[in-house]
Amino acid sequence: MSLAQEQAFEPLIVAFCCNWCSYAGGDLAGTSRMTYPANVRVIRVPCSSRVSPNLILRAFQRGADGVLVAGCHPGDCHYVTGNYYARRRFSAMRRFLEYLGIEQERFEVHWISASEGSKFAAVMGEVTEKIRALGPNRKLRDAR
Amino acid sequence: MKQLAEIMKDIAAQSLSRGEVDLVIGWQKGPLWWQSYPAFIEGNEGNGETGSLTWDSFCVPNLSRYLLEELPERKKVALFVKGCDALGFNQILQDKRAEREKVVLYGIPCTGLVDPDKVESAGLGRGLLEVKRDGDELVFVYDSGEQKAQARDFLYDKCLTCRYPNPVVYDQMLGEAAPVQPEERFESVQELEKMDADERFAYWARQFSRCIRCFACRNACPACSCRECIFDIPEPRWLGKANELSETQFYQIIRAYHVAGRCVDCGECTRVCPVNIPLQELNRKFIKDINELYGEYDAGVDPEQEAPLVTYKTDDPAAFTES
Amino acid sequence: MKKIVKDKLPSLWEQLSSQATLFLPVEQDGVVNFAPWEEGDSVNLEALNTVVPPKNVVFPQTETYMRFKVENDKLHIEPFEQNGPYVLFGARPCDVAGITLLDKVFLQEPEDGLYSRRRREGTVISVACNEPDAACFCTSFELEPGMAPGADIMVWDMGDYLLWKAQSEKGEKLTGSVENLLQEAAEEEQKAAMELKERVTAKEAAAAQEMGWDPSGVKETLKDMFDSDIWEQFFRRCLGCGICTYICPTCHCFDIQDYSKDQEGGRFRCWDSCMFADFTLMGSGENPRPTRKERVRQRFMHKLCYYPSNFGLYACVGCGRCVRKCPVNLDIAQVIKEVGGVKSGSE
Repeated sequence: MSLAQEQAFEPLIVAFCCNWCSYAGGDLAGTSRMTYPANVRVIRVPCSSRVSPNLILRAFQRGADGVLVAGCHPGDCHYVTGNYYARRRFSAMRRFLEYLGIEQERFEVHWISASEGSKFAAVMGEVTEKIRALGPNRKLRDAR
Repeated sequence: MKQLAEIMKDIAAQSLSRGEVDLVIGWQKGPLWWQSYPAFIEGNEGNGETGSLTWDSFCVPNLSRYLLEELPERKKVALFVKGCDALGFNQILQDKRAEREKVVLYGIPCTGLVDPDKVESAGLGRGLLEVKRDGDELVFVYDSGEQKAQARDFLYDKCLTCRYPNPVVYDQMLGEAAPVQPEERFESVQELEKMDADERFAYWARQFSRCIRCFACRNACPACSCRECIFDIPEPRWLGKANELSETQFYQIIRAYHVAGRCVDCGECTRVCPVNIPLQELNRKFIKDINELYGEYDAGVDPEQEAPLVTYKTDDPAAFTES
Repeated sequence: MKKIVKDKLPSLWEQLSSQATLFLPVEQDGVVNFAPWEEGDSVNLEALNTVVPPKNVVFPQTETYMRFKVENDKLHIEPFEQNGPYVLFGARPCDVAGITLLDKVFLQEPEDGLYSRRRREGTVISVACNEPDAACFCTSFELEPGMAPGADIMVWDMGDYLLWKAQSEKGEKLTGSVENLLQEAAEEEQKAAMELKERVTAKEAAAAQEMGWDPSGVKETLKDMFDSDIWEQFFRRCLGCGICTYICPTCHCFDIQDYSKDQEGGRFRCWDSCMFADFTLMGSGENPRPTRKERVRQRFMHKLCYYPSNFGLYACVGCGRCVRKCPVNLDIAQVIKEVGGVKSGSE
């Protein structure tokens, strides 16, 4: 990428946030007047374990440069066990995407509680900067 | 092996005539040397068709998968199972798509099956009439005479890495246990892991670009047992019908992920692929990672054991940074 | 007749690809398929059959033909064409016969615009078979492994050189454009090629004779076999995958679908398979071919009964791909044999 392109590149991050913790964490960040990059598009889901790999891949197909799943800390799941399953499934998924040649940083999982507004803002900032450094994702994108 | 075929014929005739089962699934020989295909014999005494049952080095199609279609219509079905078929059967059982008491399993110890492509690329296919197994050797029969060769050189790759040549589940075992001598099965996965991200991407993109989306890999898989597959549902259409790389990636990733923790590593996906996509190396990546992260697990060995992706421990490790 | 020595083939590829897209049998990871030739590709003219027949050149698996976009609340639609002149080099005579069978479907009135344009823009060069495979049976359908009447240019592999014969106006024109690489073939060289042709045909016909089957009457027999029990013995082992239909040079069913993202998208047609459960699924949820039995029957009835009723020819060219590739050996050769052995009305 040329310098001009690099500066012009604004990554698109899709963040699937669980309703009970991470989405509320995002709300807290907002009501606390914390800023985080507008590159992140938040999609509210009932639980981190609701996020099927279909949703992750569809996001990449349709233009996401990075995908993030955020849920309650292990032990704090509103549905008691959802994020325990999510931890196993997304661990397998993350390694698998890497195996197919997708940079690991493009798919992240974070635990963010409802009281962690500042963590929410910080994570969104970090993820955005990492993806900005990586550049646009072309590997799973529908090129049509 | 001839002997085993005779035992199979007798046992099939017996169980049909005694009314123990109303269908026997085995293999039959086709007109060409590599053709041994699934056979379905029904009715009292099998209408004399049990004599057509066979067992040879090409009886590779996994028969357990047919239970998904046949079992609901039948009282009881008898099935011949090799090691890999038995693993597939257990997986179908675990996925609650078959009832154990409705199935009679005749176990077949398997010493590995012959890959017709390997015979052809060795130049032995021309004029070939029959391939017979004789211990560690294969006998290639031609009009002009016979030729012998080491069997191992012609076995399917999946058979060379097979760890369960003897059925893990059966009602009656036919024949003596086959030796277990698997080669390392994760070698190809490890080779790929050594590449950098762009190389790996290029490798898989090249493989996937050949995919013709025939769905044979799905349809041959004993773990692909959904009554309705997400790829077939017209609305919402998750998988577009265009043969585009991103759609094929979507298909292949979801297919492999969906059988993660349930794949019995029978390698049928790779075998049936008409364009040589090494699909088993996708499934094996999941097997290897799940083994590393959540403990050794062999799908299909014990249907009572919980599959690794439908269970958890509170102190599980993660493949992402937890904070 | 002309000839070209094999040393000059790389120059031929270069010259042909400079004037048109050149499709050649290219080998990748042990799989030979037709692909637009690029410098460095490993061309394999020896492989008897590509996995996917060259029907995907005249009838691509996916073909976008219309694009649309919403701008200022208005829908803009425009046709989309990616065509251009091409040369298809290396199609076997059975594959060319397959294209001739597709012609009958797509070029009948009303003509299929996408298909007919592709046919007009292409020049087909067929390479004769020197040695039939165990799975080959083209002679059973009155085809010759050493001759493709439907090709623009016919080529015979004579070892060190290829014998070259233009068979149509398009063929003459292309021959003229690569004249610098061709030589006149001597009388005895022509004779040798014709002898080879006869030899191969005789050999394959003898093999078919040995197998003891003759498809000629099957189209009549099958007319009364829609409800026959014979389908019972075939369908159970079918996996319901689409291999046989996608690698068949005469299968031509397609679907039309849209894709869209955000405010734009396109319409494309793509291969579809009568083996798939959703092929005949209707909007109401009704499916007239609910099980594999109806689907398997449909595939063979179409090839061996319906198509011949409509066009007078069998929709099978005996290429043997399904014989080689069906994972459970449910191939058309076996079906023909079984069907031919059962007289109508009796079991």
